[in-house]
Amino acid sequence: MSVIDDLVAVLDKERVSADPFALYLYSRDAGATSGSATVVVFPRTTQEVVDVVSVARRHEIPIVARGAGTGLAAGAVPMEQGIVVSTKLMDRITEVDEIDRTAWVGPGVINLDLSVATEPYGLHFAPDPSSQSVCTVGGNVATNSGGPHCLAEGSTVSHILAVEVVLSSGEVVVLGSEAPDPVGLDTRGVMVGSEGTLGFVTRVLVRLLPNAPDVRTMLLAFDSVEAAAATVSGVIAAGVVPAALEMMDQRMAIAVENWLHAGLPTDAAALLLAEVLGESSAVDAEAAVIRRVGEECGASIKVASTSAERDILWKGRKSAFGAVAQAAPDYYLHDTVVPRTRLVETMSKVYEIGDRYNLVMMNVFHAGDGNLHPLIAYDSSDPEESRRVHAAAKEMVELCVDQGGALSGEHGIGLEKRDLMPMLFTREDLDAQARLKECFDPIDLFNPAKVLPAGSRCFDLGGGKPIPAGVWV
Amino acid sequence: MTEEVDPSTQEDLAEILRTASANETPVSVVGGGTHRDIGNARPTDLTITTKALSGIIDWEPDDLTVVVAAGTPVAELEAELAARGQSAVLPEASGGATVGGVVATATSGYRRLRYGPTRDRMLEVRVVTGDGRIVKGGGRVVKNVSGYDLPRLFTGSFGALGVITSMCLKLWPLTEATATVAVEDPGRTSILYRPLAVLSTPVATQVFLAGTSAEVESGVKALGGKARDGLHFPPPPEGGMLWSGRVRPRHLDEMIGRFSPDTSYVAQRGVGEVTFAADDENEVTQLREWAEKSGGSVVRLQGSSEIDPWGVPPADLQLQRQIVSAFDPARILEPGRLPGGI
Repeated sequence: MSVIDDLVAVLDKERVSADPFALYLYSRDAGATSGSATVVVFPRTTQEVVDVVSVARRHEIPIVARGAGTGLAAGAVPMEQGIVVSTKLMDRITEVDEIDRTAWVGPGVINLDLSVATEPYGLHFAPDPSSQSVCTVGGNVATNSGGPHCLAEGSTVSHILAVEVVLSSGEVVVLGSEAPDPVGLDTRGVMVGSEGTLGFVTRVLVRLLPNAPDVRTMLLAFDSVEAAAATVSGVIAAGVVPAALEMMDQRMAIAVENWLHAGLPTDAAALLLAEVLGESSAVDAEAAVIRRVGEECGASIKVASTSAERDILWKGRKSAFGAVAQAAPDYYLHDTVVPRTRLVETMSKVYEIGDRYNLVMMNVFHAGDGNLHPLIAYDSSDPEESRRVHAAAKEMVELCVDQGGALSGEHGIGLEKRDLMPMLFTREDLDAQARLKECFDPIDLFNPAKVLPAGSRCFDLGGGKPIPAGVWV
Repeated sequence: MTEEVDPSTQEDLAEILRTASANETPVSVVGGGTHRDIGNARPTDLTITTKALSGIIDWEPDDLTVVVAAGTPVAELEAELAARGQSAVLPEASGGATVGGVVATATSGYRRLRYGPTRDRMLEVRVVTGDGRIVKGGGRVVKNVSGYDLPRLFTGSFGALGVITSMCLKLWPLTEATATVAVEDPGRTSILYRPLAVLSTPVATQVFLAGTSAEVESGVKALGGKARDGLHFPPPPEGGMLWSGRVRPRHLDEMIGRFSPDTSYVAQRGVGEVTFAADDENEVTQLREWAEKSGGSVVRLQGSSEIDPWGVPPADLQLQRQIVSAFDPARILEPGRLPGGI
């Protein structure tokens, strides 16, 4: 029997697709890389995932987990072949516990839907990636997603108490617990951010936070990107960790303003969107600090006075990438991190690189975390321009590593950045990571060839799969 | 007689561990020696201390991060950070505990209700594995997903994977004002947005507030209780043997209700942890059975006992065993100390 026949036997015809259009869609994510899916399946239950894993093991074909496919690093892109397992139908919020402030959810639950569903309890799920209206909790777990409000609350890993996982042996195990400090090693912490390479997450226990009683959202406009970056560093140095601190440069502001008409000042070189949450007396005091630091850096400041004003500012921030289509058909978005003290210097060098390669670059990013998202608008059908985009992207990563930063803040390593891992890690560091992967998934069934470069496992004779020809990384 | 060594560099430590692995010499790993009663730490011929690995290595106050050597006393680190209005939010009354020690034992302080457990402070870890490999995981930035999360894996690894030599921690600014408020009804605390801690002892329930002066003032007013300036955390429970009960927050009162009369305890509301004194092992066994049935645990913190220090091992014991072997193939580091006798 073929893989597809076997999969139809354990699921049903409607939930197994090898339709060329589906395979095309499921062979890519929101980034630039494309691969090749053999078949796409849509399980509903943990048992069905176990059955799919068993078929995959029998046929020695990899499993690539997929949420909404909003990642940029090709983490959800199948390589030469693979069963793409979509979490789309595992989308139930099964239990919200108001007292414990937790919820058990399926990996396919959409991030924003979770916070909407827990709103009646006065609770929300803190990680809020810009893609939160489509991205899934399972995807957030896989990439340890961030989002504007992770500045004060930490990335996804701080909000995941337990995960139910199907291992490549077919065993189902819960890592973590409903009670604090479960005994033994923190395998839960290892699963979060493992980009689907260790096992398949079938259920997630999330920690929920109380909704804040009050909020101040401010828009600060600056004459230079440096002044905005200096304000970010200055606010953190002043001892205030705002709920969110986001930066947008002029080009991005113009693109957003063109379609949203939010009243963004398009004559400013850079904008900062700052938000503080908490008791009224606290938000007033913190907003005052942000105002003082901003004014010292020459900002003109506008405070959102109604929730409608606040919503439109956030809409502009979170849908900025969509607005880029006005400038060019494609965009290449980078995701790197630098220490916040290096923000000013890093930003000016990022622009230098863009200018040197003659590229249209826009910036909208999580400034408070030092998480940069330089975005290059371009036309991917122009091979010469594509070549320049890639050269510039590589230089930007090198720059951030030189500044003491990391390769990725929230999208992960995937395929796109795996061969850059040696910039940060020694051979022994990578070997330790490869050994960890082997413990969870000794047969390399889950998302092979991702995260770690080929040959990471020292004494690894010919292991690690090369990137196939034609895959554009 | 156990031999004690205190290497001052990762290279020296690696050499010691390579030799110990080759000779299959069991090794204890000790910081301040304040958490030795957690788990089955067996006497070994060789003890490695982190004494000579001490001090702040790199502190970026404006980035709210610090790189600190494992043997640095928690109190020393916090005092230095506090001088510039910052904190790593590590356990408050830490005695002689070291930063490496509280990380290796995953010990959190009372302020975790607001700031999360010690684990959430871990950005980067540098270790030497059981077989003498020098390994780094994570990075010195506050947001990172570049490879597997070794900093979290090593938090609570009890020395069994490797010896932590240094780590980068995320810091928090200390707040302008703090207050301790005694309340009659613990239920009243739900009117607060995010208190620092809510602790119950047999004597009282106290709410710990932190923030701007105005914020703390309004919290005190809302609670309507007696307030004192500053954070006055209760002393640890009194007794020879101390245990940590860990249950879902909604089960905390039920757990306390199961204690025998006159039990000394400190319970962390909203967290689901209660540290209590109990010398009667039968009583502990009964409490443990009840806690485990609803997904919790009862773990020994202090003293020695006939009963298992951990209780039921984790569901993924086999996986945990493999991970330990991957980092310490000769299984020399703190053998048998982890749950399940790994």
